[in-house]
Amino acid sequence: MKMTKRKSLMAAAALILACAQLTACSGGTTSSSSSTSSSAPAADTSSSADSSAADTSSEASSEEGGMMTHEEIIKAAAADGKVGNWGLGNEYEIQALLTKYGLPTDYITMDFTMDQFDSDAVTLASAMTYNELGLVKNSYDGGYSYGDTVSIIDMNDEGVAMLEDNLFCSKAFAEANPNTVKAFVSASMKGWAYACEHPDEAAEIVFAAGSSVSADHQAYMAGEVAKLVTTDMNGNSVPASSVGNMDEEAMQQTLDLAKQYIILEDSAAKEALAAMTLDDIRSTAYLTYDPATDGAPEKTSVSIQLKWLPQAQFMGYYVAEAKGYYDEVGLDVNIVSGGGDISETTAVYNGTVDFGVTWVSNLINANAGGMELLEVAQVYQRSGLVLVYKKRNSRNIVQNSF
Amino acid sequence: MLWQTQVLHAWMGTDTITLPLPTRIGEIITQNSDTIMGHVKITIVVALGGLVMGSILGYAIAVIATVFSKWGAGGLTIVSAFNAIPLVALAPVINNWTRDLSSDVSVRSTVAKIIVVTISCTAAMSVNAFRGLTELKPFSEDLMKSYAAKKITVFMKLRLPNSIPYIFTALRVSVPASVIGALVTEYFAEETVGVGRQIRENIVKGQYPTAWAYIAVACAIGIILYAILMIAERLILKNRRAR
Repeated sequence: MKMTKRKSLMAAAALILACAQLTACSGGTTSSSSSTSSSAPAADTSSSADSSAADTSSEASSEEGGMMTHEEIIKAAAADGKVGNWGLGNEYEIQALLTKYGLPTDYITMDFTMDQFDSDAVTLASAMTYNELGLVKNSYDGGYSYGDTVSIIDMNDEGVAMLEDNLFCSKAFAEANPNTVKAFVSASMKGWAYACEHPDEAAEIVFAAGSSVSADHQAYMAGEVAKLVTTDMNGNSVPASSVGNMDEEAMQQTLDLAKQYIILEDSAAKEALAAMTLDDIRSTAYLTYDPATDGAPEKTSVSIQLKWLPQAQFMGYYVAEAKGYYDEVGLDVNIVSGGGDISETTAVYNGTVDFGVTWVSNLINANAGGMELLEVAQVYQRSGLVLVYKKRNSRNIVQNSF
Repeated sequence: MLWQTQVLHAWMGTDTITLPLPTRIGEIITQNSDTIMGHVKITIVVALGGLVMGSILGYAIAVIATVFSKWGAGGLTIVSAFNAIPLVALAPVINNWTRDLSSDVSVRSTVAKIIVVTISCTAAMSVNAFRGLTELKPFSEDLMKSYAAKKITVFMKLRLPNSIPYIFTALRVSVPASVIGALVTEYFAEETVGVGRQIRENIVKGQYPTAWAYIAVACAIGIILYAILMIAERLILKNRRAR
């Protein structure tokens, strides 16, 4: 008798669980489909945006008094365990920032949407200036419409910036095909220079080439990417003619931070990382190409692996292709888009593609593991990673703590 | 042998970075045993938690299906349909759902992971247990009825013991499934912990020897849990026969 009672209790619990699962499935489909890259956000995002706008207007008068400093915001979010990042090699700058303020380096894994930020599961969320930040602020298709109610903490200002999108190939490929590498770098950088001067046109070219995001977001992204390519970590402007140059100081800062925050369990890789110098990861020998003295490219058909989906983040390559810059130097280029868990370093290392775009930290990581990769151009001159927070949250926390 | 002497590498056209030598993998495991054990514990908690929950849930569903025999079999088909939802699709959905559950990320992340494993383990148990509860020896049910036994007595004395071997049949499916489920759901979890997550992180970061070390550990977890199950099955079923 006792036994059956327990059984029927279990049965009831089972039914409840089953129902909960059913609702979870039906409720969850909307949120999982609203990815950063494409579709529209769930209906509830607009309502939360409305409420945030209302909060701002009501609290606007107390604007000067209640704002927290960046340090306080970071410490508060870390104490709540609400600092977010995607991981997978994108976390080093955030960990450096947390360490700077004497905090543990734990973070919440963000999926590739800003839903966790929207729902306050993450209050200090990682965002790229050219992608997620635009989606958070703007109200176009896929946006969360936060506008000026959000603010950012910039890695460049905090002194923990690491260089991101570069252009690399394997050392063996560069040695065997120096002219191909030179030709590809010069044509690509010509594309980048043009794209940065004409971001709107570049956005259209990328959109036509098969975009993963809306035309509006593509245009926003092109404008923001142009800023990263033509401004260095200290905020000084970089002339379009020197796009792709490697700033020694910024490269060294990236390597130093990488040595500090890349945690390796493989002892051989650990030793390789500790001993690594800039000469192990980059060469400036391929930045200029003169067909008359250098000669024709050894390999004329080449491919490049992007770090993510087709978008203006990589506009220089799409522009070089569309404007015929690759044809001019006698190259036939195949642009391979990435996304998700694609490992661009592995793709270049094992010869699937000839060139790749990755973050400098990821290249350092791969070379520590024994892949002989070589950066041949540095496209982004400053970090595009920021931490975004809602202003109303930073005020609320102040009120709570007093 | 083929692996260590790199014959395998030549056959597969790969190299010692993407497929490191077994000695190197062993080296990494022994050098980082503390870190790795930490991740193993997390994965095992999720796998076993989900396995226990899923099995209890599955058995309960089978009991309900037996009691309400008219629509029982049909209901089970629906439960089995849950099993067809790919873990990859389920994990992010459950993550969203458990987000408000706790302010502690490790609590809500663990709950989300256990729920996914639970779902992946439920169907095998409910289908098998239902067979165990209903496919009785010929005439045994009639015999019980001729004794004017109550339904509950039939259940306790006949159906329940009859279902025990079927429980083990179900566990043989769901033990490996729970380990795989735990590894996959860690990929999407909010917390960057567990053996599965370490495999993903290290592969994307190009740290193949370390990734292989975690793959080896993941295999070991599956094999050890299965071995424990086999031993338990032998002990328990042997006692039954002796009686």
